Amino acid sequence: MRTFLQALSFLIFTTLFVFANYKLPEWLPADVYLRLDPLLGLSAVLTGKEIISRALWSLIVIGATLVIGRFFCAYVCPMGATIDFLDFLSIRKKTRPELKGEANWRKAKFFLLILFLSSALAGLSLAYLMDPLPLLTRFFTFFLYPLAITLINLLLDFLRPLLEALGWIELSHLHYPQPAYYMSFITFLIFAGIIVLNRWTPRFWCRYLCPLGAFLSLLSPLGLFKRRISTECNECLKCQKACPMGAVEQDPKKILLPECIQCRTCADVCPKGAISFPAFPSADRASQLGGEYAAVDFSRREFLTSMTGGFTFAFLADRTPFTPLQSKHQLIRPPGAVLESEFLRTCIRCGECMKSCLTNTLQPCFWESGLPGLWTPKMELRFAPCEQDCNVCGKVCPTQAIRSLSLEEKTHAKVGTAILRKELCLVWAQDKLCLICDEICPYNAIVFRTIEGYRRPVVIASRCNGCGFCEQRCPIQGESAIVVVPNGEIRLKEGSYIQEAKKLQLEFKPDPGDDKFILDQSGFKAGEQKEPGKKAHPEEKTTPPKPKGFL
Amino acid sequence: MEKNGLWITRRDFLKTASAGLALSLAGRPAFLEAKDERDLVVVSGDPATATRAALEAMGGISRFVQKGKRVVLKPNMSFSNPPEWGSTTHPLVVATVAQACIDAGAQRVVVLDNPLRPAELCLKRSGIQEACKSIKGVHVLALEDRKFFREIKVPQGKVLDRVEVFKEVLDSDVLINLPQAKTHSATGVSLGIKGLMGLIWDRFSFHSKYNINQALADLATVIKPQLTILDATRALVSGGPGGPGDVQKPNLIVAGIDPVAVDSYGVTVAPWYGQNFKGRQVEHLLVAHQRGLGKIDLDQLKIFKGKA
Repeated sequence: MRTFLQALSFLIFTTLFVFANYKLPEWLPADVYLRLDPLLGLSAVLTGKEIISRALWSLIVIGATLVIGRFFCAYVCPMGATIDFLDFLSIRKKTRPELKGEANWRKAKFFLLILFLSSALAGLSLAYLMDPLPLLTRFFTFFLYPLAITLINLLLDFLRPLLEALGWIELSHLHYPQPAYYMSFITFLIFAGIIVLNRWTPRFWCRYLCPLGAFLSLLSPLGLFKRRISTECNECLKCQKACPMGAVEQDPKKILLPECIQCRTCADVCPKGAISFPAFPSADRASQLGGEYAAVDFSRREFLTSMTGGFTFAFLADRTPFTPLQSKHQLIRPPGAVLESEFLRTCIRCGECMKSCLTNTLQPCFWESGLPGLWTPKMELRFAPCEQDCNVCGKVCPTQAIRSLSLEEKTHAKVGTAILRKELCLVWAQDKLCLICDEICPYNAIVFRTIEGYRRPVVIASRCNGCGFCEQRCPIQGESAIVVVPNGEIRLKEGSYIQEAKKLQLEFKPDPGDDKFILDQSGFKAGEQKEPGKKAHPEEKTTPPKPKGFL
Repeated sequence: MEKNGLWITRRDFLKTASAGLALSLAGRPAFLEAKDERDLVVVSGDPATATRAALEAMGGISRFVQKGKRVVLKPNMSFSNPPEWGSTTHPLVVATVAQACIDAGAQRVVVLDNPLRPAELCLKRSGIQEACKSIKGVHVLALEDRKFFREIKVPQGKVLDRVEVFKEVLDSDVLINLPQAKTHSATGVSLGIKGLMGLIWDRFSFHSKYNINQALADLATVIKPQLTILDATRALVSGGPGGPGDVQKPNLIVAGIDPVAVDSYGVTVAPWYGQNFKGRQVEHLLVAHQRGLGKIDLDQLKIFKGKA
């Protein structure tokens, strides 16, 4: 039963992950697991100092934990499921070396919880580092998803001749664009580390490190379901050995209640059937509750130490010239990202936006904006542009660090402005014939003007919303000759981007026919008919000039 | 101007004309002129019926597609815009030709393009996938991976000596080009010959590395559609190739075997950027004509005009 529920939860998590793409229907909250996570919610609310509506979903988990107990870890958590499964696959049969100082290890997760929450209070978001849900989502995004696509494409390549012979043409030409990400190796190492820790004890992560588990264990004392032991118990200690959380004490009738995740493994292995988890224990049955809730063994001194640690950490990490001067950041953030400082505070680094990004332009940061910016999404426009017909990044953002916008609004959420680097541009620097940026620009923000007797591209900043098609398609090698810089970006916490853009007199919808600029060119080089005299005096128009490509 | 091209053209023209004259003198009514003598067929009407009529006036699809043949249709579906924008071929033009090929017994019909925007979006928003969905044996593909291309030599290439072309095109028996009439910021207009760029892998070198007009003519020496049906039901007369821009409605379908002739007529269907042009004024068409790839002067063409 438990394994089934656990597998089901994992399946739902994975399915939602797969569904997180540009086709995501409005009604489907692909980020629901992350919304449900109370630690993430609390951390984001503390850091951002405001209520985040999507984070309110986590009240469901809080409520359920208060009523039922710490069931989340055993039944819902997809990370727990992954750990259990991989443990079952690879480590189960090995003998695990003994771990010394067990009691101290157990404290680690509370230490981390307090550290994360206090740093959140001080304005630095850190919980994402170890909260299992963003951690697993990141692993899925940066490692599993690209790997899965590679494998699927390999399989398709292998099957292609067969599919072709069967006449399944669509299938024989099926190919998924391969996603690629920065930080995938680091993400993989962290995940692998978590699994390897199981060498010492099962669910090492959940027992000793998981701050979400620590948070839920603090909520669990009121839970109805508690492990009860009847007098049948013959102290065979099987339950103690089997408990994945190591929650059964030396005296098997006692249990560390905060550690119990109600997986009922102990009840299953008990040869006497002496263990039960009744919601309403009947008085007549001789059973007793073993263990007490005083068991969160954390001294005031330790509490204060970890809190100070959190504050110090936050203070140090936030002490960069970037923090007070948020206009100094150099990154192009996704359209709809709130103000940079708030963005860093509310982003929980789950990677959903980067997973769902249609073009793969959203990439995780490493140290570009220091520790506060780890894994935050940036647009890598030389690699891929931002597609006009996609607004999925905001849709899947669990804390709305990227606001969910309609396509029309998103178009107006200007992320930056393209600038031409004349020293690199083929036309400006070498008088060559190239107009890819002009051709590809969806907003007609690039025009050609005759400068020094030659048609050269110029960016009209008020028409550029920073989508980056030009930067990506620029045909020169290496760095693009036209790059999007954050200058001019619009980042609103609330309100309409369309109105803001209007206020700023920006126009991202070219009115038809504004291609007239092509006609404004004094006759484009038309082979032998070129008349140099006319070029020198473009204002003396005797015959109307011809668009490019016409003779 | 290369005189040779012209001489042959004129001679051909005279031959055809005198043959026609002789035939009609022999008692054959003039209105029954052989359909395969027409250089161009221009039919006005809505996309589906005009396309059907144009195929009929060309002598029927069976002239090009026979039983068991593998056919590639190359519409313009490079952009994820709806048909009203005039940047992609009208879905009904594509579906009508696809249906005709199937009716003629084609073994398989692949509708193919190498899109500029994400493939899925292009297929969906152009409406072409939807329009062809119900026709059995027709497969609409927008492919973006290099593995679907194969390199071929361009023996007559002036600037291009090799080019990677869709394997599907190289392995098929018949290629029918279904371009959309629109402006293009690099080549003036984008019609049939410019549309061939949607069948190759590395288009960007055309813009950056080569003289695009020469490269297009080179490409036209190796990719030779058996039939070109130009969709000028709508014409994007500014803001091309992706739009948005001014869209006019010439309501015309132009069909022909000679790719230069079709394009040359296509130049005259609408004023581009507010100006009227002739085929000779479009550099890549002139180059293609001078390289002997087709006729460019409309007064030397046998044009059938009809209404559907």
